[in-house]
Amino acid sequence: MIEREVIVGHRLGLHARAAARVVQLSSQYQSAISLTRDDRGNRIEADARSILSILLLAAAHGSALLVRADGTDEGAAVECLCEYIKG
Amino acid sequence: MKEERIIRGVMASAGVAIGRAIRTFDPLMISYNFHIPQSETSKEVARFRASVEKSRRQLERMQAELRQSRIPESSFLVDAHLLILQDKLFVDRIVETIQERAVNAEWAIRQVSEELYEAYDRLQDDYLRERRGDLEDIVRRMLHNLRSKSSSTLPSLPYDAVLVGKTISPSTLFELRANRVSGIVTESGSPLSHTAIVARSLNLPAVMGVQDLSGISPGDLVIVNGTRGMVICNPDPSTVREYRQRMKQAPSTHRRRDAHIPAVTQDGIRISLGTNINFSEEARSAVETGTEFIGLYRTEFDFFKDGCKPTEEDLMAQYSRVLRAVRPAPVTFRTIDVGPDWNTRDGTGSSLSSRGLRFSLENQDVFKLQLRALFRSSRHGRMRILLPFVSTIADLDVALEIIAGVKRDLSRHKNSFDKEVPVGVMIETPAAAHTCDLMASRVDFFCLGTNDLIQYYLVIDRSDQSATHLYNPFHPAILRCLHQVYTLLQYSGRPVTVCGEMAADPAAAAVLLGLGFTSLSVSLAAYPRMKEAIGSLSVGRLRELAGEIMKMESPKDVEDRVRATIA
Repeated sequence: MIEREVIVGHRLGLHARAAARVVQLSSQYQSAISLTRDDRGNRIEADARSILSILLLAAAHGSALLVRADGTDEGAAVECLCEYIKG
Repeated sequence: MKEERIIRGVMASAGVAIGRAIRTFDPLMISYNFHIPQSETSKEVARFRASVEKSRRQLERMQAELRQSRIPESSFLVDAHLLILQDKLFVDRIVETIQERAVNAEWAIRQVSEELYEAYDRLQDDYLRERRGDLEDIVRRMLHNLRSKSSSTLPSLPYDAVLVGKTISPSTLFELRANRVSGIVTESGSPLSHTAIVARSLNLPAVMGVQDLSGISPGDLVIVNGTRGMVICNPDPSTVREYRQRMKQAPSTHRRRDAHIPAVTQDGIRISLGTNINFSEEARSAVETGTEFIGLYRTEFDFFKDGCKPTEEDLMAQYSRVLRAVRPAPVTFRTIDVGPDWNTRDGTGSSLSSRGLRFSLENQDVFKLQLRALFRSSRHGRMRILLPFVSTIADLDVALEIIAGVKRDLSRHKNSFDKEVPVGVMIETPAAAHTCDLMASRVDFFCLGTNDLIQYYLVIDRSDQSATHLYNPFHPAILRCLHQVYTLLQYSGRPVTVCGEMAADPAAAAVLLGLGFTSLSVSLAAYPRMKEAIGSLSVGRLRELAGEIMKMESPKDVEDRVRATIA
């Protein structure tokens, strides 16, 4: 399992279009991928292949996300998602 | 016989429609919930999966059509819907609910979606909360597909219909395109909603945010005046006649044979006639109507479309699209004008004292972001930049310095842009009207915004419906003001275009031509009517008329005199 923290660089945060793109990117990998946001001690986790859960993360511009992947292509998956999320 | 009644909402898509009301109902309300025998759950899951599959096919078909249509930009809405259909959080949980609780698919869909709605409602972010609408749209579609065999939601109609409902989803609008739906009235929604965007791209007049729809029964005759944000229920026959007459004069959605013949008065004076737009999607319709130029693009609607500050790239894409659609004709981009009645949705509320340019000077990050996007897209066509609500020379100088700074910065970073983009001032405050000659040496052009000018000259509160009768372009003070502006600018060599409602009323426009103005810009809906009206006017006669009305004391006498002359 690999995890890395990334700051959301999209000015609108992970809104509809960006969330859709995250789902499309995650679907290219075999690994299970999750995004976790720490909301003042309250950890919210989203499945990176679920657009509804990503929207519910409410990850605004500048918020920190923990990208975690577990599986055969976990390295590439984390790399690719962090690259996109940081904008 | 029911009485004529006017209800007000907000303008969401311009134009006028007359039709019989069709009340849309929410199918969520009439799905039945029941338990099923445990042995039947796999059959129920199969029924549910079939409805998902059917929904997916419908959406894919819609997406393909959209990509080929003249509004490919809207297809991203469908992308989000398709992803929801594949979403485990949603689909798998519904399947689990059917299996574990032994309930019918409709009940399971409702249960899972209600939990998600609650989660959305708890979000702090206005924009994200609005995305609940996408989920509702998909739920509606699935429930519908579970129930019926046919895929059409509305039978073909024997008459022109106006859809009236609490909310109407964007996908419903796409599907009803072929039907005789001529207009939309909704309780929820705003010009920023997806439904409004789709309505505009389909040229369907729409009024949203209407408070009391309960008085409209199915089959009632209604007039949707999208341009004014007004709905007339059970109009009197005379009102219908008046509107039909007006619509006959304005077949704005179709390309006219004479579209590209310029507007010329009876005595051969060439008048430039442009179009005002509020949304980037309207640019193409304006070109099809034969507009000579976009005299005013009010950029704040698109700017705040997503509910918060857009990215420079998004803005550039939008601005380039408008410029390309209209070129070689010029487009005047008015920088964002946030008024007192405007909620920007990102916490930057505004009062009258910080309108227009003042807002931009107080929020320079927003102003610079827009300027950068404007300049960086300037090579895609002919751009002009217009500063709204200028009231002091000092403010203007600060704004011009910011513009120069943005240009220097872009040059330093080797960005390609048109260095000669003209910059102009919108004359819409009494202060600007009286000092435009002092501003003339600093800028390249002027626009005259008569709506605000009249409002501030005559002291009228726009939000007060009972004060609308006070608004009068024929008031002697307005005539004198316009005459003064024309005279002050005459020797400056700076062109001026009149952009307010005044230019869209034949009688008021006649006054403008009589005073010497030769460039007007009007709404899309008014364009064909004004072009025709100009052809029947004689500037020579209007000059004499201007001399006469200048001496009159009462607005009523002025108006009567003008109407008698042009009749």
